[in-house]
Amino acid sequence: MVTNILILGDGAAGTIMANKLRFLTHREDAEITVIGNSKYHYFKPDGIHIPLGIKNYRDSVKNPKFLFNYGINYVRDSVTRIDVDNRNVSTQSGKNYTYDYLVIATGDRLVPEEIENFDREAHHFYTLEGSLELKEKLSGFNGGKIVIGPSSIPYQCPPAPYEFAFQLDRYLRRRGIRDKTELHYIFPLNRVFTMENVSNYVQKLFDEKDIIYHTLFNLESIDAQKKTVSSLEGEDQKYDFLILVPPHKGQQVITESGLAGDQGYIAVDRHHLNYGDYDNVFVVGDATDLPISKAGATAHFQSEYLSGRIASEISGFVAEELYDGSVACTTVTGDEKAFTLYFSYTRPPRALFQSKADYLLKWTSADTYFSGMLRGVM
Amino acid sequence: MEEQEKPTKVVDARGSFCPGPLMELIKAYKSAKTNDVISLYSTDTGTKKDAAAWINKSGNQLIGVFDREGYYEIVMKKTK
Repeated sequence: MVTNILILGDGAAGTIMANKLRFLTHREDAEITVIGNSKYHYFKPDGIHIPLGIKNYRDSVKNPKFLFNYGINYVRDSVTRIDVDNRNVSTQSGKNYTYDYLVIATGDRLVPEEIENFDREAHHFYTLEGSLELKEKLSGFNGGKIVIGPSSIPYQCPPAPYEFAFQLDRYLRRRGIRDKTELHYIFPLNRVFTMENVSNYVQKLFDEKDIIYHTLFNLESIDAQKKTVSSLEGEDQKYDFLILVPPHKGQQVITESGLAGDQGYIAVDRHHLNYGDYDNVFVVGDATDLPISKAGATAHFQSEYLSGRIASEISGFVAEELYDGSVACTTVTGDEKAFTLYFSYTRPPRALFQSKADYLLKWTSADTYFSGMLRGVM
Repeated sequence: MEEQEKPTKVVDARGSFCPGPLMELIKAYKSAKTNDVISLYSTDTGTKKDAAAWINKSGNQLIGVFDREGYYEIVMKKTK
């Protein structure tokens, strides 16, 4: 009997899951179908390089149809309804798909429209288009006050805003306009990052690089006339140039299918990644409401666990393994240095060392991603 | 002992980790009315400090932090 595995989403999580599962199962035992409609597959971590002219965007973009290993059915379509009670997924083209295993890897979406004047005033590096536009605008910047930070939590790749601030500091110095520029960083918590020890480390680097930070700044509004951002806590910051992470939400189809509330993030078992009482419906990547980073690295670790589990079940061997929340990520600290964090649900990141080697790891990660990680070979 | 004011809203963020509970509290705050009392349940120890700091910074009133069985409760009043 052929087991029918249906994967929703052709981003990092869906692609890694499909490719890993294809490696671990025989084609006569498992049929793997992926439904997705991404225009292109963009390696988002390069958003901290592209706007500053450090990398060419062409190395960060691939056509998704060439990223799936042999033996995977890739269907370009949009999911319109997920009915887990009747094991049915409907798509925009009017087709219906059934499954033995469903893997929801639909990620999340940017919703800048939730903050008035965001599109008009703020720049960001969370999409390829946004990164290229930011590059153009920054080239015309000749000094003033830059405000940078996340507009709300959660958002993809939690270190990205401080990484960008560090990169920007170096970019401005190289252009000879750092002394004409004030760099201000805003963050919603009472520190500059979610994890306390990382936050202390980053805060020290901010002080060294004269990056001024404002904590407990939950963005409430953007006043386009006065060029001011205001926080829920009652603080105002004027800006000449605004770089904000747009607000994020889960996909609309998730909410409309009743799998999550208005925020669109699906509650899953933190150790098994299954949804509710369903032992054949799983969620990986940014679509979950798990208290860990929304990042490709998370999707990678989750896929490692989940592909092994599903493949084991198909082969009749059920091993009681648990996902422990493991994530590893390399984060840039400017001046061609970076550090790598390893952590899990219960293990906070420990020693933090900046090094050039870690920076090179980050610099080359698009190649590693497209040729290895995404292909399911690592 | 002074009787604790009855909460208008209860945010049960038990099992959720930083920054989840604080974000849940802020979400409830945004939809609350002035003088509403919001009670946050949390099992994440870091939230105790984070939530108190946020309540003070936002100019609202921290009524108290109470140890309960297996979790703790942070009670605030929206004064703005």
